[in-house]
Formats: sequence, structure tokens, C-alpha cells
Amino acid sequence: MYRSQRLAVKYLAAAIILFGVMVLAGLMASYYYINPDFLFGILHFNIAKILHIDTLVIWLLMGFMGAIYWFLPEELGREPVGIWLAEILFYVFCAAVAVVAVVFIVVQYGHTNQNALWFINQGRKYVEAPRWAALGVVVVMAVFGLNVIGSVIATRRMTGIIAVLMIDLVPLVLLYLDAFPAITNMSQDLFWWWWLVHLWVEATWEVLIGCIMAFTLMQLLGTSRRIVETWLYIEVALVLGTGILGLGHHYFWIGTPNYWLGIGGFFSALEPLPLLGMVVHAVYDAGTHHMKTANRPALYWMMAEAFGNFLGGGVWGFMITLPAINLYAHGTQWTVSHGHFAFWGAYACGVISVAYLVVQKVRGAQDVGGALWKWSFAMLNLGLIGMVGALLVSGMTQSFVERATGGSTLQAFIAGQEDPWFVSGMMLRFVFGLVFAAGYGLLVYDLVTIGKRRGTLAKASP
Amino acid sequence: MMQIRLIETALLLGLYVLLAGGYGLAYTLAKLWNNPHIRTVAYTVYGLHCTVAIGVVLWAPLGPGWKALLIASSLAMFAIPPLTWRYLERTHGTGRASA
Repeated sequence: MYRSQRLAVKYLAAAIILFGVMVLAGLMASYYYINPDFLFGILHFNIAKILHIDTLVIWLLMGFMGAIYWFLPEELGREPVGIWLAEILFYVFCAAVAVVAVVFIVVQYGHTNQNALWFINQGRKYVEAPRWAALGVVVVMAVFGLNVIGSVIATRRMTGIIAVLMIDLVPLVLLYLDAFPAITNMSQDLFWWWWLVHLWVEATWEVLIGCIMAFTLMQLLGTSRRIVETWLYIEVALVLGTGILGLGHHYFWIGTPNYWLGIGGFFSALEPLPLLGMVVHAVYDAGTHHMKTANRPALYWMMAEAFGNFLGGGVWGFMITLPAINLYAHGTQWTVSHGHFAFWGAYACGVISVAYLVVQKVRGAQDVGGALWKWSFAMLNLGLIGMVGALLVSGMTQSFVERATGGSTLQAFIAGQEDPWFVSGMMLRFVFGLVFAAGYGLLVYDLVTIGKRRGTLAKASP
Repeated sequence: MMQIRLIETALLLGLYVLLAGGYGLAYTLAKLWNNPHIRTVAYTVYGLHCTVAIGVVLWAPLGPGWKALLIASSLAMFAIPPLTWRYLERTHGTGRASA
């Protein structure tokens, strides 16, 4: 095994641990809606929320990096350039994440000055990490880029997937520089901030996960390179074609010119089209192999990715993307419902799929299986669908009571929060969150023990 | 728009995409298993998708531009599964041949 692959295992393990922190913080955040006095004066709701959404970003990022560090040496036939630096930075990265989490939990607030911005919280959603930590992320991502690009230069070997990956790394690193606030005008600040949040998520991450899924398909189903590369080009072009200017749907109500209503609505409305093609592709691939593979958990999670992406991004997104609807739904629990479903489908399922693939390879197994992964798969997906369904009910109530009929006044806000439909939705969200958390527990247990429990795999013959 | 229309229109739009996905899924399964019954199901689901699209066009308080976009999307959604299937067959065929 390459050193890079050992590093990949560490990154994937860290990702799965942070996934758990995200689940725990999410459970806490959802419980505040049921019992607003929960941890009163000790840990505020917004801190739990920050932990929830920041760990979401970091665990997925670590998962992606783990996947690339796993596939890269096999693709290029050599250890990545500068892998020693990446190994050191992994521990620095983990330590930085831990320090930032402790600061969020213990210190929580600072004064509105530069010190607070540098050492406590940058105050920007999704990238709240203080400036020193944000700079650290830039360094980690730059070294990650160096590992990939340097290795390609060193081997003088270029494949289609690696070419797409290299091109993607440039905006992946550059867009993160947008995490550092410098503009005091809120509309202008939000305008650029969305470049980071939206373009990372709906452009660079989509391409990255496309590359990772291409590698996974080749290893999991033995699909030929020519096929996966052709489809990678097509799907990346379609996703980028609709996703980049789909950015406009975030510009609807932040003080930007009216033309963004048309641009954002139009390109967002096109987004389900490539997702429909992906569903056909996923079913075709699974069907032609009769769902037979040496790693069924990885295959099922990959299928869940295609369907989750379509449902979460396509169906849930389309409900609220046209400006006439979005005027009322923007920023409500309805958006939260869409966000949960889309992140789960587009990224989380893919990272879990890679984790199963790596576990199989690390343990030298011909086949992995057993019953536990099915329980974990079912509980995680049932929990997720239950959560997004419950949030949908709450969000619709909020849009209707608070926005459409109440006119977004403070009184209307309170009426919306007290509406029985809203309250029931939030309670159900917590219940399904518990189901999801139980599924996470099973997932961790399965990943840790799948090579050690009886009946979960057969060792490869020497 | 009348307030309740907000919820109804959004649900119809969600259903609109969901039925397109159902059509794509059924179409692909029909081709995979060469099953004419599932193919009938696929076209029935697409018919339901069109019904929802017509309902949105006739009834929902959206501007004419958005309604035109929905009609164009419906046409594209009808074509995407067969086009994707055909291209998949071609790439996999050449992939096998070159392997």
C-alpha cells in the first residue's frame, strides 16, 4: 500500500468521526426548537448550529481528500510528490479543527474587533472558523493541489480524470480565498460570499465528486476508463453549465439587480435535467451488472448518491427555485430541508461509498457484505428522508403563515414558530434525527468491524 | 399570488420533477429488462408529468416566461432518458470492443 493510501485511510477515518460530530451538533440544534431552554446560558443555539454546518463542510472535504489520496497513486503509478508534507499537514489540520471547535464551545463570542476575527469567529456562515484556521485550510488545500499537480508533472502521465481534477483544483483553492471578509457593505459582501458557498458546492465539489465517482466506478464495477471519462466530461459540462449561473438563485433578495431573478431562476430550473440523466446512467450501470459486485455496500451507497442528488437537488430544489415561490420560501426550514437532502445525496453518500471501497481494499477482502450495512443504510436514509419531510412541513408552514399571510412581521414570525404544524414538524425532525444518529452508529461499527466479524467477508486467496 | 397557491404551486413543481424522474427510472428499467409493461408504465408516468405541467401552465400564478420554460423542460425530459440510453449503449459497446 502506498503512503498516500495510508494517509487516505486517516483522512477517511477523520471524516467519519467529524460526520459524527456533525450529527451530534445537529441533534442538539434540533432539540433547541423543542426545548428553547436547553443549555440556556451554557451553549447557545447558534454555536450548535455553527458546529453542525462547519463540520459538514470539513468532513466532506476530508472525505474528498481521502478519496483522492487513495486513488491518485494507483492512477499515476507512484507516490504523490510531497506526500510527507501532506502527512504532517493532516495532523495540523485535525489539531486546528479541534482547537477551533473548543474555541467555539468555550469562548463562543468576542468583541467586534480584529482579535475576535483572527482568533474566535469570522462571522460568515459555513466559514465561521477564525482567520488563522481559514489560512490553515488554504495551506492544506494548496499542498493537496501540489500533491496532485506535482505528481502529474513528475510522472508525465495525464489521464482524463486527472486532467479534470487538476483544472478543478484551481477554483477549489482560489474560491476559498473568498472566505476572508473585507467588505463592510452587506449586499456586496453576500454577493462575493455566495461565490464561495455556491460555487464550491455546486461547481467545484460537483466536479470533484464526479472524478471520485469515476475512479470508484472503475474499481467497483470494472467500467472501462474510456466510458467513465466520456461520461465525466458530459456530466461535468452539464452540471457546470446549469450550476454556475444557478448561483443567481442566491442573489434574489440580497440587494442585487433584478436581472438575477431571471438568470438565477432560469439556470436553476435547468438543473434537474442533468440529474435526470445521472439517474438513467446509475440504473443502467447497476442493471447491466445485475447489482452484482464484490462490494455491495459501496454500490448501494453510490446508487443512493444518484437518487439522493436527483431528489434533494432536483425535486426539493425545483420546488423553491422559481422567484415567485422563493420570495416566500427563502431562508425558511423549507430551504433547510432542501439543503439537507441535496448535501446528503450529492456528497455524503459518495464519501460513504468510497469508505466501504477503501475498507475492502485495506482488509484484502474479495467480498464484503453481511447484514449490518443494510440496517445502517436503511436507518440513515430513513432518518434523512424523515428529517427532510418533517422540515418540509415546518418550512411550508413558515412560508405560508409567516411570509405569505403574515407579511414577514415579527408578530408573523412568532405566529409561524408557534403554529402546530411547524412545532410538529420540528419535533418529528428530532425523532428522525435520532433514527439517523442510530444509523450513523451502525455505520461506524460496520466500517470498523466489517473485516473482523464473522460472515462479513471472505479473505482474498494469496 | 393567493397565499395557498404558494404551497400548491411549489408542490406541483416538486411533483413535476419527481414524475420526470419516475419516467426516467421506468424507461431505463423497461429497456434493461426488455419489458413492454414497464415501458407502458414509463409512458403513463410521463403522461402524468405532462398533466402536472399543463396544470401548472393553466392554473399556477407564474409568469408566461416560466411557463414556457416548464414546457420546454418537459420536452427535454421526455428526450433525456432515450438519448442517454442510446449514448450509454454506444459508449459501453465501444468500451467493450476496445477492452
